[in-house]
Amino acid sequence: MLKGGFVGVGRMGLTHMAILNAQPNVMVAAAADKPSVISSFLKKHMGLNMFADYQSMLEQVSLDFVVISTPSDSHAEIVEAALGKNLHIFVEKPFSLNPQKGMELARIAEGKKLVNQVGYVTRFHELFVFVKRLLGESVIGEIKHFKAEMCGGTVIRDNKKAWRSEKNKGGGCMYDYASHCVDLVIYLFGKPDQTVGNVTQKIFSAHVEDLVSSTFLYKRGFTGNILVTWSDASFRKPTTKVEILGEEGKIVVDKYSCKIYLNKDSEKHGFQKGWNILHITDMVQSVNFYARGNEYSRQLEYFIHSIETALTDNIASFRESVMTDFVLEEIRRESTER
Amino acid sequence: MEKIIFGDNQFFGINHMSEERAQALAEKFRDLKAITDVLKTAWDVGIRGFMLNSNDRAKEICDFLRKNKESFEGLRLYPSIPYPHKYANLVTEKGIINTIRDVLCSENTAKESLGLIWKGGAFFSSGGDATKIMELLIDVEMQVFRELNVEVVFLQNVVTDLVLGLGLKEVFIHYYAYIKEKYNAEPGFITMNLPKLVAFLTEVCGLDNPIVCSPINKRGYFMNPSAEACEEVIAKRKFRPVAMSIYASGAIPPKEAIEYISNQKNINAIVFGASSKKNIEETIGLIKQCSD
Repeated sequence: MLKGGFVGVGRMGLTHMAILNAQPNVMVAAAADKPSVISSFLKKHMGLNMFADYQSMLEQVSLDFVVISTPSDSHAEIVEAALGKNLHIFVEKPFSLNPQKGMELARIAEGKKLVNQVGYVTRFHELFVFVKRLLGESVIGEIKHFKAEMCGGTVIRDNKKAWRSEKNKGGGCMYDYASHCVDLVIYLFGKPDQTVGNVTQKIFSAHVEDLVSSTFLYKRGFTGNILVTWSDASFRKPTTKVEILGEEGKIVVDKYSCKIYLNKDSEKHGFQKGWNILHITDMVQSVNFYARGNEYSRQLEYFIHSIETALTDNIASFRESVMTDFVLEEIRRESTER
Repeated sequence: MEKIIFGDNQFFGINHMSEERAQALAEKFRDLKAITDVLKTAWDVGIRGFMLNSNDRAKEICDFLRKNKESFEGLRLYPSIPYPHKYANLVTEKGIINTIRDVLCSENTAKESLGLIWKGGAFFSSGGDATKIMELLIDVEMQVFRELNVEVVFLQNVVTDLVLGLGLKEVFIHYYAYIKEKYNAEPGFITMNLPKLVAFLTEVCGLDNPIVCSPINKRGYFMNPSAEACEEVIAKRKFRPVAMSIYASGAIPPKEAIEYISNQKNINAIVFGASSKKNIEETIGLIKQCSD
């Protein structure tokens, strides 16, 4: 039985806790967050061992792993403390607001052979995993260009109170949304060699950006555009879409479908010339316990599996996630603010 | 319970198969009249049960149903509460506690405000008794359906599965009792984890023969942990299964989909959504054909 400690019991923390609590081989041993109605509720109704701060939890409870779902500016400090206790770590994205520090933490985790995973959940989505495989098999030939968009209607008015409205806490659509988009791009195409045309734009927020756009350049000979905004009310929920143009065709993928256009038949893959359409309903695989989306369950089932099988070069590792942090830092540094 | 319940996902731009289809639905049903026309069509075909999630569009639809009560004599509503995305966006923006406070303040209409204020007072004086918050939130959500004939109130799957995952049995027990007592309706639960929920409700919470709505379809789409495990529970456990996602958002041909459902014995009701007269009639025809 693996014993888990949870730092942060907000929306994501509770979702992770629910998924892991439902796994047969996992025990929710303790949690830490500042005292609130939620924490006293969990204490009373779940009988959860709640601590007001994570240090006390790490000191007093014997754990195998921690799940960290706190505001982004606190990730590095808590990860460092958990590494000090030799715990396997699952931390929400973005990994670290300071990429140099993030790289140091990645090295420590690797040195100690601890599972180190960041909550880049799109890497566990059936259709994006499928597209990664198709690109590896050069289905559309040499890649020439991609467009990656992530849009949602999370912020459609200014709210100065929430931590997501504070730049130094890792608020803003850069870290909250763009981190997912940039990580997905790195997952599919690798880290860009250079970013140009970086723009951050305010729409509703007073202190943080609501829109990010950038052009990614690759020495391998292709380019890509990213556009991310959390201030588009026309989206019922956050939506990610990637369009990839290759010499021999095109792929358009989102969470529901994957459309493949080929200039000629591909017998090897069973695709015909023209459009080939696959739906999530054709590809979806069941999970042990569903709380929010298959990919949310799968990333945690994978995390537990990695601990049990001592797999430390895991998907969405600290090292991979630091690349996203470096790109985000570059976009921020180079960006024109509007 | 009605054997056939007309679902509402199509009205709100929800389709699990494609973003474009979802977008097209959102465009088609932008005007309330487009929605009410489909509801009338379903009514004329003989459907009397309607499921409605407590979102902003549901308010308009319920206003329409109240205004046209005489045309919908015998209507049976099957609300699902809450609308999760409203809370998800607010929670992201403000945190859990501020969201609860804001929802209670902003959605509190003058007429029902007294009761809510009284309960709100009870909540704060009790030092944050969570069951009081839950009652308040249920009351806010249920205002949408006031004066309409509500038969079953379903707890939406995002909430059900979170509570199930955390193992908070008091929440289910209290929800069950409160819906029966206050709304004189049957409590129901929507889930994506059928076997686990049925075991938890009956064995841990001690609820007898609960109504549980979950995806049941030939593809095994959203049947966790597996289609076989769900089929076994339906065949063997004592509860009232309600099937949803029977077409897996259009991935399964109608005849195959209905045949599969008919072969699962014990299913109490089928929830299905459609946006054209042809599709509504086709489904009804197939259900009748298979049940003969």
